[in-house]
Amino acid sequence: MTESLILGLSSGSACLATCGMVMFPYLMSGSAGVKRIASDLTLFLVTRFLVYFMLATLSWSFGKALFSNLVVRNILPGILYIVFAVMLVWYSISKKRNRDCPAKIVQTVNNRKLVPILLGLVNSLGFCPALFLILTKGAAEKTLVHSYISFLAFFIGSSIWFIPLPLAGKIQKKEVLTTIGILATGLAGIIFMIKGLTNLIGGIING
Amino acid sequence: MDNVLKIGGNRKSFGKSILYTLPMFLITFMFMTGGRPNFSDLSSGLALLTAFLLVNILYFLMHFTGKTDRYRAILFIIFALSLSYTLIHNMLEVRKSMSFSQADILECKIPFCHLVIPMMILPAAFTKSIIFPGSILNGFANISTMIVLWLVATLVLGRGFCSWGCFYGGWDDGFSRFGKKPLIKRIDGLWKWMPFAVLMMVMLTAALSMMPTYCSWICPFKAVTEFEQVTSVESAAKAGIFLSLFGGLVIVLPVMTKKRTQCSFLCPLGAINTLSNKITPFMVKIDKNDCNECFKCVEACPLYAITRDDIKEGKVSMFCSKCGKCVDACSRNAIHYGIKGVPSGTLKNFSRNLFLFVSFLFMAIFSAGSIIASFHGLLKLIF
Repeated sequence: MTESLILGLSSGSACLATCGMVMFPYLMSGSAGVKRIASDLTLFLVTRFLVYFMLATLSWSFGKALFSNLVVRNILPGILYIVFAVMLVWYSISKKRNRDCPAKIVQTVNNRKLVPILLGLVNSLGFCPALFLILTKGAAEKTLVHSYISFLAFFIGSSIWFIPLPLAGKIQKKEVLTTIGILATGLAGIIFMIKGLTNLIGGIING
Repeated sequence: MDNVLKIGGNRKSFGKSILYTLPMFLITFMFMTGGRPNFSDLSSGLALLTAFLLVNILYFLMHFTGKTDRYRAILFIIFALSLSYTLIHNMLEVRKSMSFSQADILECKIPFCHLVIPMMILPAAFTKSIIFPGSILNGFANISTMIVLWLVATLVLGRGFCSWGCFYGGWDDGFSRFGKKPLIKRIDGLWKWMPFAVLMMVMLTAALSMMPTYCSWICPFKAVTEFEQVTSVESAAKAGIFLSLFGGLVIVLPVMTKKRTQCSFLCPLGAINTLSNKITPFMVKIDKNDCNECFKCVEACPLYAITRDDIKEGKVSMFCSKCGKCVDACSRNAIHYGIKGVPSGTLKNFSRNLFLFVSFLFMAIFSAGSIIASFHGLLKLIF
């Protein structure tokens, strides 16, 4: 749970750094009042929650089928952790990161009411390395409940960053906060890399 | 004429330097001997005398030559080496090993160090518990003494703690002085925010797991103090991380960049100390009237605290640890120690004298015990 929460917290900040400029104008809708922003934000977060709920079920079911063999169960998550963690670290140091925002798709939608739902979908399904990591974790969990807990922690961690959106305009030194968030994402990648390595070596030793 | 005066701006005559050293002489004498020097054991007496003379000669030279960093660094590096020596010696004597066992953790026998402080904040605030297996009041390096020492030093010196009080900083400071020219000259400025990211991560992980995660997983100085016994894949991974971070950030990168890379890019306590720089009375200032923008101070700064833009704006960033390297590098005395609220360019000597007295006294008292102990150990080895 701790790892998932940390992954969520760190990737949430990176997500804002990447997609903030695309999402802010839609979620805060210019001159809209606090009520409108709050309702948009709620829709956005509920969509994300539902998507993660489905992903937790899917990843666990997939993991149960794929990791039925003991050797595979011991070794494959370790390898996946390492691969996705390397991707996450790369993502945090890549200068092209800002071009990759999947939320840009909403710029083509005309229906204003659909925007928060679509943003929630795109944001939670935007296949960034952090999502791959949590999918791997969900798949490697022993029970479905554990998988739900992992995803819930990831959802909470990443959602915290969206709560102060209505105040975003008033935050000073956004660049510094973004830089720290991006670096923290890289660190989360390193944590999962180490977890992957210990899992892998432990898996090999234990047969 | 004006130039000549400025070049020797911080220098003092022999007599004046002696006068300035006298208070340090008396205070360190009282602290080191408790007012009653004991020479019954020759090697203990010699160790005490050597440490006492070393501290006071260095302080005298700071005034006499006008150079700060050169003599600060000598004591700072000796402090780091002697503390590691004392700690390892102590552990080998008590435990017969540098590693600690689960029993040591259960009995709260682990010496406390200031790097744990960032991780203690959230658990202490929310659960009123201390997440470190050390003694609160008794024994070697107990928790309360270390916290009080760090707090006082940080409130007075700000990030100056990192160059005048930290008993680890001397390691990468020492290695950053090897070689004449840096092999790596440019490092992206964004990396200096890394300690804040590390701080955020260790505070969160410590709060969520109720474990001092930085000590358990990251601290490079475990390589020269103590570490968990290697009994599993996880503990082997930890040992691997400690050694590689020590090798990379404390030895290799400082030699290649001539900068203190561990302090600049990793230390989470450095991030807190950086923030505390905002409230401390002492700071390094730039006198725009005397500065000819040669940027020697930018090159000299070991913590990436001064950029060319900072010089143009006439202010040093909050990352400054007040080590004095930039002050020594400036031939025009344009960059100088100052006091908050006092305009730059004024009270240069007074500010320097006051800052040196406070910071050097702290380092001298803080380091005295381990320096005397290591000199004693060395003398025992020789004779």
